[in-house]
Amino acid sequence: MTARPASTDELATLVRDAHARGAALRFEGSGRWSDGRSPATRISPNAKRVSLAALSGVVSYVPNDFTLTVRAGTTLAELDAITAPNNQWCPLLSWGDDHGTVGATFATATAGPCSEALGRPRDIALGLEFVDGTGTVIRAGGHVVKNVAGFDLTRLMVGSFGSLGAITEVSVRLRARPTADVTWSVTADGPNAREQLSRIRRGTITPLACDVLSDEVARELGVPALSALVRFGGNAALIAAARAEVSTIGTIHVLDASVWTRYRSLDPHPRRLDARPLDGAVAGRIKERFDPAGIMNPGVFGERA
Amino acid sequence: MTAAPRTLPGADLCVHCGFCLQACPTYLTLDDENDSPRGRIVLMKGLAAGTLSATDDAVGNHLDQCLGCRACETACPSGVPYGQLLEQTRAETATARPIGFLSRVVLATFAHPPLMAIAMAGARLLRALRITRLLARVPGRLGNLMATLEATRRGAAASYPPAPVTRARVAVLQGCVMEGLLAPVNRATERTLARNGYALCSAEGQQCCGALHAHAGDRETARALARANIAAFEQSGAAFVAVNSAGCGSAMKEYGHLLAGDAAWHDRAAAFGAQVRDVSELLAEAGPVPARGAAIKVAVDHPCHLMHGQRLSDPPARVLAAIGGIAATELPDAAQCCGSAGLYSLAQPALSQRILAPKLNGIGASGATIVATGNPGCMMHISAGLIRAGSDARALHPVELLDAAYATDHQADHQGGSR
Amino acid sequence: MDPLTGTLSAIVGATHVIARPSELIVYENDGLPGYHKLPRLFVAPGNREEAIAVVRALAASNAPFVARGAGTGLSAGSLADGIVMVGMQRMRRIIELDPVARFATVEPGVVNANLTKAAAPHGLHYAPDPSSQTACTIGGNVAENAGGPHCLKYGVTMNHILAATVVLPDGEVVRLEAPRDDEIGIDLLGAFVGSEGCFGIAVDVTVKLTPNPARICTMLADFMTVDGAAEAVSAIIAAGIVPAALELIDAGTIAAVEASIYAAGYPTDAAAALIVEVDGPIAGLDEDVAAVGRICRAAGARTVRSATDAAERARLWQGRKKAFGAMGRMSPNLVVQDAVVPRTKLAPVLRAIAEISARYRVTVCNVFHAGDGNLHPNIPYNASDPDEAARVHEACDEIMALCIAEGGTITGEHGVGLDKLPYMDALFTPDSLDAMCRLRSAFDPARRANPGKVVPIHRCKEWLAAPGVEA
Repeated sequence: MTARPASTDELATLVRDAHARGAALRFEGSGRWSDGRSPATRISPNAKRVSLAALSGVVSYVPNDFTLTVRAGTTLAELDAITAPNNQWCPLLSWGDDHGTVGATFATATAGPCSEALGRPRDIALGLEFVDGTGTVIRAGGHVVKNVAGFDLTRLMVGSFGSLGAITEVSVRLRARPTADVTWSVTADGPNAREQLSRIRRGTITPLACDVLSDEVARELGVPALSALVRFGGNAALIAAARAEVSTIGTIHVLDASVWTRYRSLDPHPRRLDARPLDGAVAGRIKERFDPAGIMNPGVFGERA
Repeated sequence: MTAAPRTLPGADLCVHCGFCLQACPTYLTLDDENDSPRGRIVLMKGLAAGTLSATDDAVGNHLDQCLGCRACETACPSGVPYGQLLEQTRAETATARPIGFLSRVVLATFAHPPLMAIAMAGARLLRALRITRLLARVPGRLGNLMATLEATRRGAAASYPPAPVTRARVAVLQGCVMEGLLAPVNRATERTLARNGYALCSAEGQQCCGALHAHAGDRETARALARANIAAFEQSGAAFVAVNSAGCGSAMKEYGHLLAGDAAWHDRAAAFGAQVRDVSELLAEAGPVPARGAAIKVAVDHPCHLMHGQRLSDPPARVLAAIGGIAATELPDAAQCCGSAGLYSLAQPALSQRILAPKLNGIGASGATIVATGNPGCMMHISAGLIRAGSDARALHPVELLDAAYATDHQADHQGGSR
Repeated sequence: MDPLTGTLSAIVGATHVIARPSELIVYENDGLPGYHKLPRLFVAPGNREEAIAVVRALAASNAPFVARGAGTGLSAGSLADGIVMVGMQRMRRIIELDPVARFATVEPGVVNANLTKAAAPHGLHYAPDPSSQTACTIGGNVAENAGGPHCLKYGVTMNHILAATVVLPDGEVVRLEAPRDDEIGIDLLGAFVGSEGCFGIAVDVTVKLTPNPARICTMLADFMTVDGAAEAVSAIIAAGIVPAALELIDAGTIAAVEASIYAAGYPTDAAAALIVEVDGPIAGLDEDVAAVGRICRAAGARTVRSATDAAERARLWQGRKKAFGAMGRMSPNLVVQDAVVPRTKLAPVLRAIAEISARYRVTVCNVFHAGDGNLHPNIPYNASDPDEAARVHEACDEIMALCIAEGGTITGEHGVGLDKLPYMDALFTPDSLDAMCRLRSAFDPARRANPGKVVPIHRCKEWLAAPGVEA
């Protein structure tokens, strides 16, 4: 049976209890990260499932501050719906789908096709709240866009896969949605087509995304082979200039932005699982200090659980 | 042993921001903040407060190792008068920490015209006999000295007629080393000023400017020389005092500060300071009259006492820009001291050479055959370095280049007919 | 003689070890005058091997230490109170600069602006540009997670560090790399950046180099009220424009700068001026420039002008970047604050700061990264006047409390160091501070690296539990 704490305090009580008993916990957001390629498959099968999906909703949002604090169980789709009325977005656009939760996205530091241009989870998180392996509630960072007060527990938690604590709340940096946002597939031919297409990334106008597709992915998306999936955002003059520049590299086909949803769900860059992050001296000591009983997603990093 | 607390006006302006560090040649060479402006200000404040002792050799060495180039002043946002702090500190610690023997001999020579005349004659003799050339590349201080004298060798200069007088009366500071070893530079100064419409007059009784004495901490001698110069130039009737030595010009512009405590002289000194001009300022003011000259590649270096002391970098550039044949590029470290720094190359020979080394590399990389720099110490120090490195490049004064261009043009126009 | 002198001299050479108090005093403080702590010893390693050997020697004799770059920090973070100071200024080689892959690997003592100078021929620059960039070092920037005006658009130091080789306080050498998108791991590099010298010493740092924008437009808008300027800041951001930089300077700062060698032509009769820089590809930039002009005028700007050439642009920036130093001419001492507030709170917070300064009869000069809400209320004062010093101290406490109450933080880019230590309890819960201590002790279990800084020691449970420790 899956536990569904409805508040940070409930979660803390649950973890404190598990810590006292040395009982393993397995944290999940929307519960969709368990396919065969996920590190989650390595979590000890005896671990009790804890869903953070009930911890959802906005904590604070002042649109003109371009910052937003939400609870971890909020889905990416909800996040998008909250910010859209103000022409803003939190451009995580992570691999996977929009039913994934904010907490899981940051806990797993899942990037996406726009990450190079718009930031990765580690660049977007301003602060967060989490419950560590002793059941202690900890606040890291803050709600403002610049902050160097104290040691950076936010960066520590982002990407730690719940092995050090369970994220309950995240403050993020928002951006204005570009006034014009275009998606193209760009097709080239010849022996150097792929290399040629990848030059779009280094053009005078930096794209929001530019991925040269494998034949397999191109087929799945229904675009020609030897294509790059390209996205530009900005004002109309910038887009016009980008179009002129890109058309010297290949043939542009305008696509609907919904192609990104399909592309993200294909996750063409799955995580490699060979690393053993907790084996290092420092990471090992961190694990000891944040999860002394070894109950937080034990085994997620391939360590002996 | 510590002295009673003194005040060090201006030291409190330092907020320790560190913006001076990268401007300081000795910090960049020695990597120790004790040899940086910010660090030396701390040391000077300690000496003034009496918490440090002037007999502490470590402290004294760090202050001795300062070039006095004042590059830090150009970098300082809060306007710390570093040069003045250093002079005051050196003066006030002179009893506890006397000026070195060699430096004292040199300073005494500069302050006594007959001694200076003998020294300069001796140097010219060595040069005429080509002993300087022979020994210029032997290792050690002797070779260095010989190379420095050899660096003053000049060929014969051609003449050309002056322009009709359209500008103010100007008296040229003859200087000590300039007239003694680099007289052709003084003649070039006079000819180029006349070519640009200035009326030249002489100032009888002028002496050494006293800059070296003030820098070394011998302010009394510096003040005596200043008074003599003020009187000499006042009676010359000149509107401007033209100076072709950046170090002398910088010191003479600051006579008002030097004689601030002398009620009888202070106002005269301040008025005099306001009349002092670097020769490049006067030439730039007049244009200068353009010249074609020969095609040469010139690397530009800024004497510290022009760029940092007098905050002048544009006028010398305009002098060079008036010469059509010259392709001038600034050295990458043009704003940084060459290591000459008055008596520094004598007092700190090894460090002085370390500071010069990157500049010599820059000159080599530039491919220039001429380095333009408007100060005798810099010309001699850089040329000596070039000679000892086996380079054919030489450092010359910008007015020498302008003078040569006027002469070349004149000759061309009067032999080949005017164009 | 200190027994460590010989050990360290054997590693780096006697000229690079300083033991005499009369020579150590120049290392008593950083860029924040007012704090003075005499180090036990100063040692400057000349390369990676020496740096590692120095840290190992210090570990072997259980000696605490502090690393220091150029000593331009503004939080008293690199002060060594009776312990060893490791100066990194000799390690200033650029090891590798790859213009194609756009990264550089440098020794920690490389000066920020010198890296940009080296990258310039390739059309690249190192984006984080703290105002002290002509003096501060990359190692120091990493320690403080330094910001700067252009971090509004380009991100802070953390966003630009790709990797670092770190010698941990116990002498172990570890390689920290930014996590790749297709790998898993704990972001130890993210934790290390901004750790204020408490996690070890970086002996090399790999940074991103950023292409220079095709066009830069720097504007100066002046206002007769501070409120108007603050309002314009909010409106520009709200309009979705991301300027490269958006800086506010008030009348007091303008007066100090205009009296200095870095006079930039700021209008001395204005209550505040904004420097707004937009950059990017040539296409589409005019629209942003026009929008910024419109917004500023609508908010009450008297004039909005654009720098016409690179020299004027440089002048506008030099004035801004040297402003702290220029305040030196106002009084012998200077408090430099670094609080951040939500951008929409700028106007009310500035009004409240003005009210506080009037009540305590102190002069507050504001010069700050308005686009980030990163305030720098600076207070020039005379520390030798105990009454004035006390008033300044109280005004600072009140300003900090105000910024925390408005949902902000106590430092946006200068770090906590010693200076902001007293405010940490107001910002974080005891449990959060203890968690920071736990992170620190994972890097430095013996707590020998920069002890006594960043987190108040009374908040560290593990440390307090150790035998023989008193809070």
